[in-house]
Amino acid sequence: MTNPLSDAEARVALHEVERGRERVIDQIGMPAWYWWGLAGCWIALGVLNDVANAWVIAVATVAFGAVHSAVSQRLLAGRQRSGGVRVRADVVGRRAPLIVFGFLIALAGVTVAAAFAVYADGAEHPATIASVFVAALILLGGPRVMAAIRERARRAEPR
Amino acid sequence: MRDGAGFDELIHPATRLSIVALLAAADWADFAFIRDELTLSDSALSKQLSTLEEAGYVVIDRPLSDRRRRVRARLTPLGRKRFTAHVAALRGIIESSDATLV
Repeated sequence: MTNPLSDAEARVALHEVERGRERVIDQIGMPAWYWWGLAGCWIALGVLNDVANAWVIAVATVAFGAVHSAVSQRLLAGRQRSGGVRVRADVVGRRAPLIVFGFLIALAGVTVAAAFAVYADGAEHPATIASVFVAALILLGGPRVMAAIRERARRAEPR
Repeated sequence: MRDGAGFDELIHPATRLSIVALLAAADWADFAFIRDELTLSDSALSKQLSTLEEAGYVVIDRPLSDRRRRVRARLTPLGRKRFTAHVAALRGIIESSDATLV
Protein backbone atom coordinates (compact mmCIF):
# COMPACT_ATOMS: atom_id res chain seq x y z
CA MET A 1 0.00 0.00 0.00
CA THR A 2 1.42 3.41 -0.91
CA ASN A 3 1.49 6.09 1.73
CA PRO A 4 -1.09 8.84 1.25
CA LEU A 5 1.49 11.41 2.39
CA SER A 6 5.19 12.03 2.08
CA ASP A 7 7.41 11.78 5.12
CA ALA A 8 7.71 15.59 5.26
CA GLU A 9 3.93 16.09 5.07
CA ALA A 10 3.41 13.57 7.87
CA ARG A 11 5.95 15.40 10.04
CA VAL A 12 4.18 18.73 9.45
CA ALA A 13 0.84 17.13 10.37
CA LEU A 14 2.28 15.57 13.54
CA HIS A 15 3.77 18.92 14.49
CA GLU A 16 0.29 20.45 14.22
CA VAL A 17 -1.11 17.64 16.36
CA GLU A 18 1.49 18.38 19.04
CA ARG A 19 0.78 22.11 18.76
CA GLY A 20 -2.93 21.46 19.43
CA ARG A 21 -2.04 19.54 22.58
CA GLU A 22 0.30 22.33 23.73
CA ARG A 23 -2.42 24.94 23.19
CA VAL A 24 -4.58 23.08 25.70
CA ILE A 25 -1.68 22.41 28.11
CA ASP A 26 -1.03 26.17 28.17
CA GLN A 27 -4.48 26.49 29.76
CA ILE A 28 -3.60 24.33 32.80
CA GLY A 29 -3.66 26.48 35.90
CA MET A 30 -5.79 28.07 38.57
CA PRO A 31 -7.41 31.47 38.04
CA ALA A 32 -5.51 34.38 39.65
CA TRP A 33 -8.48 35.08 41.93
CA TYR A 34 -8.03 31.65 43.52
CA TRP A 35 -4.50 32.46 44.74
CA TRP A 36 -5.47 35.97 45.88
CA GLY A 37 -8.55 34.61 47.68
CA LEU A 38 -6.52 31.86 49.34
CA ALA A 39 -3.86 34.35 50.48
CA GLY A 40 -6.54 36.70 51.85
CA CYS A 41 -8.28 33.91 53.75
CA TRP A 42 -4.93 32.71 55.11
CA ILE A 43 -4.23 36.16 56.58
CA ALA A 44 -7.78 36.44 57.94
CA LEU A 45 -7.39 33.08 59.73
CA GLY A 46 -4.01 34.18 61.07
CA VAL A 47 -5.49 37.40 62.45
CA LEU A 48 -8.40 35.48 64.02
CA ASN A 49 -5.93 33.12 65.69
CA ASP A 50 -4.35 36.11 67.42
CA VAL A 51 -7.47 38.07 68.41
CA ALA A 52 -10.53 35.78 68.52
CA ASN A 53 -11.65 33.10 70.95
CA ALA A 54 -11.38 29.37 70.25
CA TRP A 55 -14.98 28.97 69.02
CA VAL A 56 -14.67 31.72 66.43
CA ILE A 57 -11.37 30.26 65.23
CA ALA A 58 -12.86 26.76 64.97
CA VAL A 59 -15.95 27.92 63.06
CA ALA A 60 -13.86 30.09 60.72
CA THR A 61 -11.43 27.23 60.04
CA VAL A 62 -14.22 24.76 59.26
CA ALA A 63 -15.97 27.33 57.03
CA PHE A 64 -12.71 28.03 55.20
CA GLY A 65 -12.15 24.29 54.68
CA ALA A 66 -15.67 23.77 53.33
CA VAL A 67 -15.56 26.75 50.96
CA HIS A 68 -12.07 25.85 49.78
CA SER A 69 -13.07 22.25 49.16
CA ALA A 70 -16.08 23.33 47.06
CA VAL A 71 -14.08 25.88 45.07
CA SER A 72 -11.04 23.68 44.47
CA GLN A 73 -13.24 20.77 43.32
CA ARG A 74 -14.83 23.04 40.74
CA LEU A 75 -11.41 24.16 39.56
CA LEU A 76 -10.43 20.49 39.17
CA ALA A 77 -6.76 20.91 40.03
CA GLY A 78 -5.85 23.18 37.18
CA ARG A 79 -8.10 21.71 34.49
CA GLN A 80 -10.31 24.74 34.12
CA ARG A 81 -8.41 28.00 34.54
CA SER A 82 -10.77 29.82 32.20
CA GLY A 83 -14.31 29.13 31.06
CA GLY A 84 -13.05 28.43 27.56
CA VAL A 85 -11.74 24.92 27.88
CA ARG A 86 -11.55 22.02 30.31
CA VAL A 87 -8.32 20.07 30.03
CA ARG A 88 -8.59 16.27 30.10
CA ALA A 89 -7.53 14.68 33.39
CA ASP A 90 -5.04 12.38 31.64
CA VAL A 91 -3.38 15.42 29.98
CA VAL A 92 -2.99 17.30 33.28
CA GLY A 93 -1.67 14.14 34.90
CA ARG A 94 -3.09 12.01 37.67
CA ARG A 95 -0.64 13.43 40.22
CA ALA A 96 -1.60 17.07 39.64
CA PRO A 97 -4.32 17.16 42.36
CA LEU A 98 -1.86 15.52 44.78
CA ILE A 99 0.79 18.11 43.95
CA VAL A 100 -1.63 20.99 44.64
CA PHE A 101 -2.85 19.29 47.83
CA GLY A 102 0.74 18.68 48.95
CA PHE A 103 1.56 22.34 48.35
CA LEU A 104 -1.36 23.39 50.59
CA ILE A 105 -0.34 20.94 53.33
CA ALA A 106 3.23 22.27 53.15
CA LEU A 107 1.89 25.83 53.50
CA ALA A 108 -0.04 24.84 56.62
CA GLY A 109 3.13 23.31 58.08
CA VAL A 110 5.18 26.40 57.24
CA THR A 111 2.51 28.61 58.87
CA VAL A 112 2.66 26.65 62.13
CA ALA A 113 6.48 26.55 62.11
CA ALA A 114 6.75 30.26 61.33
CA ALA A 115 4.21 31.16 64.03
CA PHE A 116 6.19 29.18 66.65
CA ALA A 117 9.42 30.82 65.51
CA VAL A 118 7.90 34.32 65.69
CA TYR A 119 6.33 33.52 69.08
CA ALA A 120 9.68 32.30 70.41
CA ASP A 121 11.16 35.59 69.27
CA GLY A 122 8.66 37.41 71.50
CA ALA A 123 6.50 39.07 68.85
CA GLU A 124 2.90 39.93 69.85
CA HIS A 125 0.93 38.55 66.90
CA PRO A 126 2.77 35.43 65.76
CA ALA A 127 -0.10 33.86 63.74
CA THR A 128 -0.75 37.11 61.87
CA ILE A 129 2.92 37.58 61.01
CA ALA A 130 3.28 33.92 59.96
CA SER A 131 0.13 34.07 57.83
CA VAL A 132 1.30 37.21 55.99
CA PHE A 133 4.59 35.44 55.24
CA VAL A 134 2.76 32.34 53.96
CA ALA A 135 0.28 34.48 51.96
CA ALA A 136 3.30 35.86 50.08
CA LEU A 137 4.46 32.24 49.49
CA ILE A 138 0.99 31.41 48.11
CA LEU A 139 1.05 34.30 45.65
CA LEU A 140 4.61 33.55 44.54
CA GLY A 141 4.55 29.77 44.75
CA GLY A 142 1.05 28.89 43.56
CA PRO A 143 1.57 29.96 39.93
CA ARG A 144 4.98 28.24 39.99
CA VAL A 145 3.41 24.97 41.10
CA MET A 146 0.97 25.20 38.21
CA ALA A 147 3.84 25.99 35.83
CA ALA A 148 5.58 22.82 37.05
CA ILE A 149 2.37 20.82 36.39
CA ARG A 150 2.22 22.28 32.86
CA GLU A 151 5.85 21.28 32.30
CA ARG A 152 5.12 17.72 33.48
CA ALA A 153 2.17 17.58 31.08
CA ARG A 154 4.37 18.72 28.16
CA ARG A 155 6.95 16.02 28.90
CA ALA A 156 4.33 13.28 29.29
CA GLU A 157 3.73 10.92 26.40
CA PRO A 158 0.37 11.64 24.71
CA ARG A 159 -2.17 8.83 25.21
CA MET B 1 -13.28 8.71 3.78
CA ARG B 2 -10.75 6.46 5.49
CA ASP B 3 -8.24 3.99 4.27
CA GLY B 4 -7.38 0.75 6.00
CA ALA B 5 -4.26 1.99 7.77
CA GLY B 6 -6.06 4.55 9.93
CA PHE B 7 -5.23 7.59 7.82
CA ASP B 8 -8.38 9.73 7.91
CA GLU B 9 -8.97 12.09 5.02
CA LEU B 10 -11.76 13.86 6.85
CA ILE B 11 -9.51 14.79 9.79
CA HIS B 12 -6.35 15.44 7.82
CA PRO B 13 -6.92 18.89 6.21
CA ALA B 14 -4.87 21.40 8.23
CA THR B 15 -7.70 23.36 9.86
CA ARG B 16 -9.69 20.27 10.84
CA LEU B 17 -6.55 18.54 12.12
CA SER B 18 -5.81 21.57 14.33
CA ILE B 19 -9.38 21.58 15.68
CA VAL B 20 -9.42 17.85 16.40
CA ALA B 21 -5.91 17.91 17.93
CA LEU B 22 -7.01 20.68 20.27
CA LEU B 23 -10.24 18.90 21.21
CA ALA B 24 -8.35 15.62 21.77
CA ALA B 25 -6.55 17.17 24.76
CA ALA B 26 -9.73 18.66 26.23
CA ASP B 27 -13.00 17.41 27.71
CA TRP B 28 -14.62 20.27 25.81
CA ALA B 29 -13.69 23.65 24.38
CA ASP B 30 -15.72 26.77 23.80
CA PHE B 31 -16.32 27.90 20.24
CA ALA B 32 -14.66 31.23 21.08
CA PHE B 33 -11.61 29.50 22.56
CA ILE B 34 -11.05 27.37 19.46
CA ARG B 35 -11.66 30.32 17.16
CA ASP B 36 -9.16 32.54 19.02
CA GLU B 37 -6.48 29.86 19.46
CA LEU B 38 -6.55 28.88 15.80
CA THR B 39 -7.22 32.45 14.55
CA LEU B 40 -10.21 31.36 12.50
CA SER B 41 -13.26 33.35 11.51
CA ASP B 42 -16.62 32.41 13.01
CA SER B 43 -17.86 31.15 9.66
CA ALA B 44 -14.74 29.09 8.93
CA LEU B 45 -14.88 27.40 12.32
CA SER B 46 -18.63 26.79 12.05
CA LYS B 47 -18.15 25.14 8.68
CA GLN B 48 -15.38 22.83 9.92
CA LEU B 49 -17.27 21.91 13.08
CA SER B 50 -20.37 21.13 11.03
CA THR B 51 -18.36 18.79 8.83
CA LEU B 52 -16.92 17.03 11.87
CA GLU B 53 -20.34 16.88 13.54
CA GLU B 54 -21.97 15.37 10.44
CA ALA B 55 -19.28 12.68 10.42
CA GLY B 56 -20.03 11.91 14.07
CA TYR B 57 -16.57 12.98 15.21
CA VAL B 58 -17.67 16.02 17.23
CA VAL B 59 -20.68 16.93 19.36
CA ILE B 60 -21.78 20.54 19.70
CA ASP B 61 -23.33 21.41 23.09
CA ARG B 62 -25.15 24.63 23.84
CA PRO B 63 -25.22 24.96 27.65
CA LEU B 64 -26.88 28.02 29.12
CA SER B 65 -24.51 29.60 31.64
CA ASP B 66 -24.31 33.10 33.08
CA ARG B 67 -27.42 33.89 30.99
CA ARG B 68 -25.24 33.64 27.90
CA ARG B 69 -25.71 31.10 25.22
CA ARG B 70 -22.41 29.29 24.83
CA VAL B 71 -21.33 26.82 22.22
CA ARG B 72 -19.01 24.02 23.22
CA ALA B 73 -17.45 21.33 21.10
CA ARG B 74 -16.15 17.97 22.23
CA LEU B 75 -14.85 14.88 20.51
CA THR B 76 -17.08 11.83 20.43
CA PRO B 77 -15.59 8.41 21.23
CA LEU B 78 -15.64 7.74 17.47
CA GLY B 79 -13.81 11.02 16.78
CA ARG B 80 -11.19 10.23 19.42
CA LYS B 81 -10.71 6.73 18.03
CA ARG B 82 -10.29 8.03 14.47
CA PHE B 83 -7.93 10.77 15.62
CA THR B 84 -5.77 8.26 17.52
CA ALA B 85 -5.69 6.01 14.45
CA HIS B 86 -4.82 8.99 12.22
CA VAL B 87 -1.90 10.01 14.45
CA ALA B 88 -0.69 6.40 14.47
CA ALA B 89 -0.87 6.38 10.66
CA LEU B 90 1.19 9.60 10.49
CA ARG B 91 3.80 8.06 12.80
CA GLY B 92 3.78 4.92 10.68
CA ILE B 93 4.54 6.94 7.55
CA ILE B 94 7.51 8.59 9.25
CA GLU B 95 8.80 5.30 10.65
CA SER B 96 8.53 3.52 7.31
CA SER B 97 10.36 6.41 5.68
CA ASP B 98 13.11 6.28 8.32
CA ALA B 99 13.39 2.50 7.87
CA THR B 100 13.81 2.96 4.12
CA LEU B 101 16.66 5.39 4.67
CA VAL B 102 18.58 3.04 7.00
